[in-house]
Amino acid sequence: MQRVLPIILILLLLPIHVSIISKVTEGKKLLPKGEGTSYVLPPPILKIMALEFDGLASDFLFLQGLVFFGSTSERKERPRLKEWEWRWFYNILNASTGLDPYFFDPYYVAQAHLTWEGNMPRETNTLLEKGSRYRDWEWMLPFYIGFNHFYFLQENEKAAFYLMDASKRQGAPSLLPQLAARLMYKANRTENAIIFLQEMIKRTDDDALKKMYETRLNALKGILFLERATAVYQDRFGRRPERLDDMITKNVIREIPKDPYGGEFYIDKDGTIKTTSELR
Amino acid sequence: MTAIWAIAVITFKEGIRNRAIYGISIFALLLLGANLLISSMIMQEVGKVAVDMALSTVSFAGLLLVLFVGINLMAKDLDKKTIYMVLSRPISRPQYILGKFFGMALLILATISILSIFAIISIFMVKLSYPGYFSRFSWPPILLAISFITISLILLSALTFLFASFSSTSFITLILTIVSYIIGQSIMDVKALVEAPQAVGIQVSPVTVKVVQAAYYIFPNLSIFDIKLQAAHGLPISLSYIFWAVSYGAVYTCLTIILASIIFRRREFP
Repeated sequence: MQRVLPIILILLLLPIHVSIISKVTEGKKLLPKGEGTSYVLPPPILKIMALEFDGLASDFLFLQGLVFFGSTSERKERPRLKEWEWRWFYNILNASTGLDPYFFDPYYVAQAHLTWEGNMPRETNTLLEKGSRYRDWEWMLPFYIGFNHFYFLQENEKAAFYLMDASKRQGAPSLLPQLAARLMYKANRTENAIIFLQEMIKRTDDDALKKMYETRLNALKGILFLERATAVYQDRFGRRPERLDDMITKNVIREIPKDPYGGEFYIDKDGTIKTTSELR
Repeated sequence: MTAIWAIAVITFKEGIRNRAIYGISIFALLLLGANLLISSMIMQEVGKVAVDMALSTVSFAGLLLVLFVGINLMAKDLDKKTIYMVLSRPISRPQYILGKFFGMALLILATISILSIFAIISIFMVKLSYPGYFSRFSWPPILLAISFITISLILLSALTFLFASFSSTSFITLILTIVSYIIGQSIMDVKALVEAPQAVGIQVSPVTVKVVQAAYYIFPNLSIFDIKLQAAHGLPISLSYIFWAVSYGAVYTCLTIILASIIFRRREFP
């Protein structure tokens, strides 16, 4: 009896343990969380707490941000992330690069997500400028900063400045100075953006990111196509089309390209081509 | 000299036989295995993360070795009163301390060498799986970083002898060593923070600044030997820095051991 009893107890308790574990994890998920706080400890404090493991702490902060961001991909609601969540994501990337300013991945992820979806091009540029200062051999970072100035902030002169900075660094593609020169003319905005994006795709080998950039590229190509068509329309009829359908009825184009983001292209009041999805 | 050497060899053997050393090694091996897993989650700088993981593991395992094996080596003699047997022989107390210290240094050297081989294998395996993501990677800074870790551990173990020379139990030695380690690793960052507190928007009293500045001179500045970040990114480390860092380590270690033997000589045993 004395030998059998512990075994019976263990056999009895094991299934109970397994069932409790799922219950308690479910319960833990339902506990009220500190939602709405984007606070991450400031980098100087984190640096002290990390002791000699600055680099490792930086890696883990980055992974923490990345895992969080990846986990939101299943969310149904739009926009996918709330305002404070973007802020937290930015803060954690900032903390990660505060511990190790040479770490490239946080900058790379910031450029891929914070600008387009997160709508934080200025913050992203602050981050990237830190990276560009430390990683002074890397042309991608000033290239990204230039793109953000050009595309999101519409500061073409600054964009050209950063592109020239990038072109002086090792391994930079030879088209950068030309691109910088082109930016000085305010026209051809979409076309320039396409050149930028094509260069980014060339340097991206992560499949998910590549796909994301390619979707953007296709959307921009659609816009470029429609912009050119409106120019043709204006040539032919002496005025701008009021709606995109006008161009089909007047046989300028056969069909309106599809927005890969699921929105619909339209002509804005100022005559520019936009889409209801806002490219997000 | 032969007496010192004899004690060193005994200490080394005693350390190697300690069970804790197996635990530490298994723990380190697990972490190095995790290196493969964590590196696979990184998009661009896989090499940097692999080196971070490997070097941090070596350093952390070394720290555990000093704290849980090293301290026991002398504390056991004191706690179990076996020190009477040693001191009744024609060995002076400073010789005893020196011998113990050299034995411990040998133990650190041996353990770190073995762990480094595994660390290098783990980096090598990650490099084999993701060869395209090691753009700024080179081996010499990594080996240098490992040597610096060793120096810093030897310095820390010298401190444990200093604390053991006057504290009554090994627990106090352990606490004092941990505190000095934490202070030593962070003192430079803390000093930078209290001297420019506006960076994080806090206020620091002038007394605190003075205390931190005093601590800066008293406690060992272990962050000098932390070049893991530079090694991970393949950043240049000047020869003069290596020279000054090694000199700093040697001088501080000598001072600590000399102080330990002075205190230990005056110590009275019940």
